[in-house]
Amino acid sequence: MPGELVLNVNGAARPVAAAPDTPLLYVLRNELKLRGPRLGCGMAQCGACAVLLDGREARSCILPVSAIVGKSVVTIEGLPNVWAEQKGLNRGSGQILHPVQQAWIDEQVPQCGYCQSGMMIAAVHLLARNPDPSVEEIRDAFTNTPPSPHLCRCGTYLAIIDAVRLAAKRMRG
Amino acid sequence: MLTRRDFAKTAAGSLIVSLGARAEAAVAADPSNLQAWLEIRADNTILARTGRGETGTGMSAFYAQVVAEELNVRPEMVTLIMGDTDRTPDGGYSSGFLTGAANMRKVAAYAYQKLLELAAEHLNTQSARLTASDGMISGVNRSVTYGELLRGRQLSLTIPLKGEPVRFAPVGKSSVTGLVWAGMGGLTVTGDPPVKPISQYRVVGKSFPMPGIPAKVTGQTIWCCDVELPGMLHARMIRPATLGSTVLSVGVLDNSKFPTAQVVRKGNLIAVVSPNEWEAVRAASAVAASTQWSQWSGLPRSEDLTQALRAHPWGAPGASKGDGVEVQKALATAAHTISASYEQPFITHAPIGPFVAVADVRADGTATVWSQIGHLQASRARLAHLLGVPPEKMIVRWLDHAGQFGRKTFGGDGAEADAVILSQMLGRPVRVQWSMEEDFAWSTFSPGWCADIKGALDAAGRLTAVDCAFYSPHMFDARPLGAILARMPCGTVQPGGFLDAQWPYDKVEHCLQQVFAMDNIAWDSPYGGLRGNIMRTPGQRQQNFLIESLVNEAVAVARADPIQFRLDHTSDPRLIGVIQETAKAANWEFRASPGNDARRTGSDPITGRGVSVIVRANAYWVGLAEIAVTPSTGLIRVTKFIVGVECGKIINPRQLDRCIKGGIVMGVGEALKEEVTFDKAKVTSTDWSRYRILTMQETPEIQIVAISRDDHSFGTGGEAPNALPPPAIAAALFDATGANPRRIPLTPEYVRTLLAAG
Repeated sequence: MPGELVLNVNGAARPVAAAPDTPLLYVLRNELKLRGPRLGCGMAQCGACAVLLDGREARSCILPVSAIVGKSVVTIEGLPNVWAEQKGLNRGSGQILHPVQQAWIDEQVPQCGYCQSGMMIAAVHLLARNPDPSVEEIRDAFTNTPPSPHLCRCGTYLAIIDAVRLAAKRMRG
Repeated sequence: MLTRRDFAKTAAGSLIVSLGARAEAAVAADPSNLQAWLEIRADNTILARTGRGETGTGMSAFYAQVVAEELNVRPEMVTLIMGDTDRTPDGGYSSGFLTGAANMRKVAAYAYQKLLELAAEHLNTQSARLTASDGMISGVNRSVTYGELLRGRQLSLTIPLKGEPVRFAPVGKSSVTGLVWAGMGGLTVTGDPPVKPISQYRVVGKSFPMPGIPAKVTGQTIWCCDVELPGMLHARMIRPATLGSTVLSVGVLDNSKFPTAQVVRKGNLIAVVSPNEWEAVRAASAVAASTQWSQWSGLPRSEDLTQALRAHPWGAPGASKGDGVEVQKALATAAHTISASYEQPFITHAPIGPFVAVADVRADGTATVWSQIGHLQASRARLAHLLGVPPEKMIVRWLDHAGQFGRKTFGGDGAEADAVILSQMLGRPVRVQWSMEEDFAWSTFSPGWCADIKGALDAAGRLTAVDCAFYSPHMFDARPLGAILARMPCGTVQPGGFLDAQWPYDKVEHCLQQVFAMDNIAWDSPYGGLRGNIMRTPGQRQQNFLIESLVNEAVAVARADPIQFRLDHTSDPRLIGVIQETAKAANWEFRASPGNDARRTGSDPITGRGVSVIVRANAYWVGLAEIAVTPSTGLIRVTKFIVGVECGKIINPRQLDRCIKGGIVMGVGEALKEEVTFDKAKVTSTDWSRYRILTMQETPEIQIVAISRDDHSFGTGGEAPNALPPPAIAAALFDATGANPRRIPLTPEYVRTLLAAG
């Protein structure tokens, strides 16, 4: 019944009213008003809806909300706190962006920007696995990590590579 | 032309300034008033308004830079309002950045002259003695900021204009309704205010960041898909079973399963709405499963497209440039001739986010629509025409969405019509979200085409005459699907000759370019078939592929170097300059093509290189493709792409770099992968596994040679680069293998067939 599900989203417990089969994307957007993840293909083929689920990239357009109870969901809105925790700072202690977000700004990655929330999520997941990825490893991660390549129609791929390298360098300190 | 200082003395009008802020709608209603374009606030910040939208190419940065430059302020001080029909003045094509920038540049220049006048009075000196920097005007001993000059008031200034707002009018020949658009170019600021010489630029030419990026990166942006209104219903559309099916019976909605959902129908437009989006999705799926449609199968299959185009009775060309008689003579007496046919299937814009729109149509006939449209005023005119209300009652607001790459240029294609029709019927705000499959199947396309080329070479291997004939279905049918299905008013121009190639080789004596047009494929079907529309670098992208392929074929006949051959056939110093600079930066080795190692068999990759050129909108481009192709698999990898560009004064090097790289990625995808497929009934390439675009792994290294010039004003940097890869990569395949591809995409299957043909 509605109201029974409690999600852990960006570090907070969030009760939601959605039916259990509702894809997480619709719950994040329409109930929790988180607008980072966006609807692309709706079938896990593009990556625009990606979120971190227990630290790993997941496609929220096909994940029933019932399947993520007890797991931690992070959207780009929650990345600054992820970084604050990683650095042992107080949550919400400042407006320090996650280095991936800062690199996305510094490298002027987004053109239309529609896919970039998912791209940043994929970058955070990659850097958690591999703190110093080579250009080839970045290309491989954004293309061959299941379930699909992360697609960008504006063609920002090379800027993404630059931004991931910049973020990696800053995160290594 | 007046100098800046003379202008201050002779400018018409008084120094009276108006008091107080005006309502935004009233401001925009009179675009001859400066405040419709520009407001200078007491805190020295500036609000600028343009009817153009941000398409992802960085225009929001460029407008701020152009305004800041003429007003001598930092670009950070400029805030932009873009697109909204009730809050912005000019409203031409979003693609028309150059005309939009010219407007803003003149408005800012007019305003600056007025500020100098005011400052001269305030400082009790002559304006000729004043200098301005960072929003402050200084005399010999004293200074005053713009904000101090204007505190509580606004500059009173009439902006001279020509042009008219977009409207539907009986202009020329039209299809469907007898009505087509007029005034698509929007308003143009006239006159000749003194503008800052390019050599004195301090803001234009720097890499000012795109203003919207931080909000997009942190999740703060309100996108078009984020609009939420009180009482809003979510709609999902149920589209016909085929491209020509009409409804026989609407499926039943089980209200025990979907208690808040409702079916809405007008003609063949069927939707399911619910306050709960997921319920709308599931209910629409259930209703669609039991909805009955008539059978229809009036398309040629996509693999038979060229055959169908060849069978069409084309008649006289829709547009023609050049002297056919002279070309025929040259061909008849040539030492060598080239004759070949080219083709490309349908491709599509394929944004990452499918169409979405929100409409709030009120009982009193007023309506507000939130849209990602590229031409807001055109959309307003279309939607008002559709609902039968005066345009004054319609407001269209612009919000960010996935890049559209031209399909929204004429203000038609999209979810807006669905949304206004449903909102009017339901009396509530409605949000229409298309699915990706729906978007791939029912949005407009860049139509497939075929073409014939002929070339004449003299005994010395010089190209003396060319003949290009280009055959394409309709490229301007932007009628909104919702209106078509609901049988409500909408119109399009008749297909005509869209001849949009700039011929770069003036030393070729005789050149004939002809464009033949036909209606959409399956035009006579209930909804007008596969609606053709423009796509990034429209017309010229396709036609330039033809020109450059012809040149590359001539290069091969002449056993010449493709760079040297191009240099030998043009006297344009700007084109020569960019080609030479780029060849130098690329360490170009001058030699004939194909290379000595060219082969058509084997399982080891072989390398090749190819060249293309395009001249477009005050910009000169050269592309050099380096590829590795494996003959046994047919797989082409583009290893490096070098781009040379000279587009006059570069406004923003960083954003130009981004635009070029994005364009190359799109163009490489078009060259290697992209193809819309259809069977006899419907489009079949309806997801990303079947409409394939370039991935990060397939993206080549891209080297850019950008030349900025102070002696030429702005050219277009966002378009054109996507037109470079197809001819250059095709030429590189010829260089590697000696086989001449005359079709794109160069899929592994096609390349294997080509190489096997010997």
